[in-house]
Amino acid sequence: MYEEPYRWVEAVGNRRQYLDAQFAQGSPVVGVACEQGILLMTMSKGTPKLYEIYDRLAFGGMGHPADLEKLRFTLLEMAHVEGFNRSASDVTGSRLVKYGIAPVVKQAFEEVFKAPFIVKIMLAELSQKVGKDGFLTITYDGVFEEKSRYAVLAASASVEQRMVEYLRPQSCVSLKDAVDLAIHTWAVGDRAQRHTDDTGGDPKDEKGSSDQLVTDSPTLMTHVRQCMQEKSIECALLDRHVPGTSKYRTLGAGELETLLPKDLSSALT
Amino acid sequence: MRMQGDFYQLLKDQGYVLGMPGQAGVGQALTTATTILAFKYRHGVLVAGDRRATAGNMVMYDRTDKVLEIDRHSVMAIAGVPATAYEMVRILEHSFKYYRRTQLQELSFEGKLRALSKLLKENVPAALAGTGAVVPIFAGYDAEQEAAKIYFYDILGAEFEGVEYAVSGSGSPTIRGILHYVNTWGEQPLSAMSEEQAAVQALRLLTCAAEFDSATGGVNREAGLYPVVKLITSDGVTAMSDPHLRSLFESHVSKGL
Repeated sequence: MYEEPYRWVEAVGNRRQYLDAQFAQGSPVVGVACEQGILLMTMSKGTPKLYEIYDRLAFGGMGHPADLEKLRFTLLEMAHVEGFNRSASDVTGSRLVKYGIAPVVKQAFEEVFKAPFIVKIMLAELSQKVGKDGFLTITYDGVFEEKSRYAVLAASASVEQRMVEYLRPQSCVSLKDAVDLAIHTWAVGDRAQRHTDDTGGDPKDEKGSSDQLVTDSPTLMTHVRQCMQEKSIECALLDRHVPGTSKYRTLGAGELETLLPKDLSSALT
Repeated sequence: MRMQGDFYQLLKDQGYVLGMPGQAGVGQALTTATTILAFKYRHGVLVAGDRRATAGNMVMYDRTDKVLEIDRHSVMAIAGVPATAYEMVRILEHSFKYYRRTQLQELSFEGKLRALSKLLKENVPAALAGTGAVVPIFAGYDAEQEAAKIYFYDILGAEFEGVEYAVSGSGSPTIRGILHYVNTWGEQPLSAMSEEQAAVQALRLLTCAAEFDSATGGVNREAGLYPVVKLITSDGVTAMSDPHLRSLFESHVSKGL
């Protein structure tokens, strides 16, 4: 059936369409570096989406939970075996992604008779020096990108673009800034995503999408408050100030309450 | 399907072998390491060790750290062949992290004890051949029972709880009797001691061990070398700083010498 090359190209194209549709209902993920470390944020329903991979590596994902788990385990195995056989400093996000999961994900994507991984993954890496923190993102087709100050995952490239446009000009120093910025960016992404979903097209092409460009804080916060009725805010931090080698920790409800914008912290309980 | 989260199994699947059994060469002295002790004081457990590593009559190293943090709440103190002991520490460190990160919960204190036991058992051939005997003390904070605990092991991997204290290494016979004496007839039992009193006690005990055991390092004030003293409480593991140990040594141990 796929012996002719163009059929294969067509099949891969179909697969891309199918995969893109799988993320429409997903919750965006935002990663922001601040002085204290790197914050990862998303909103989730039950199953967590943020995880610890190694001493200075955190994981955020969108997509099918079983696929995410499979790749998370692959990353964990690689990281720990490498950390044991060589050293913790040899476990880098770049090696894990480029030589580890990216080829596997790409191969699964292109083998049209087998199931692809329905995933978009973000790896955050806390550097030894402030200002050198980095991110890696990888999508279902194995394409990876390296970022520095921030990174986002969302249902489509255009939604991610919007989130980045919102993020880029903002400064982020304290952890409170980071939480604030991440939640606003998440709301920008989630709103754009829902709009795309409703109209079934790219938000940029839609008439009357001006409403979706709204980035004023009250509107965004109202959106988050609505989402909080069925989802909960999930925040994890690669914390430079944590003693010991493992820098990952999740932000508990108590701590979140003090960090969230006022109108949201009241909605927490 | 077997349960996941077992790092050691993962290593073995990849062909890793812990101890290499073999005959110790005749007249070839292996590096060993020496007096370690742990006892319960008022707020938790104190673990201390001297810093000497010897090979036969020769002092190999005087800055060995034999009290090693496995994670935020547990410590393994090592006596025996350091090469094997350090390898075990590395395996345990990675096993506990791997378990926590894959299973999304902390390995229980009992699970941690068992992990060490398993490593010792696998190491029996090397231990009996004379190339890799390790006799550790494992101490940590048991979050479920809200108490700091001490366990000691034999070379075959049997674990015993040190209800009040535990000792290991070539200098341990000297201080075992002292610990019993102090704990039973001293002004106060070990478990009533404050952090400082406990540290002073540990410094005195290691000085005694060094007095009668050539393989124990004791305190070398000229070189500024003090034993390693670590404290385990509900907050985790903390190491006592050298300046603090020095001032305690000078005021309570050295008798103005």
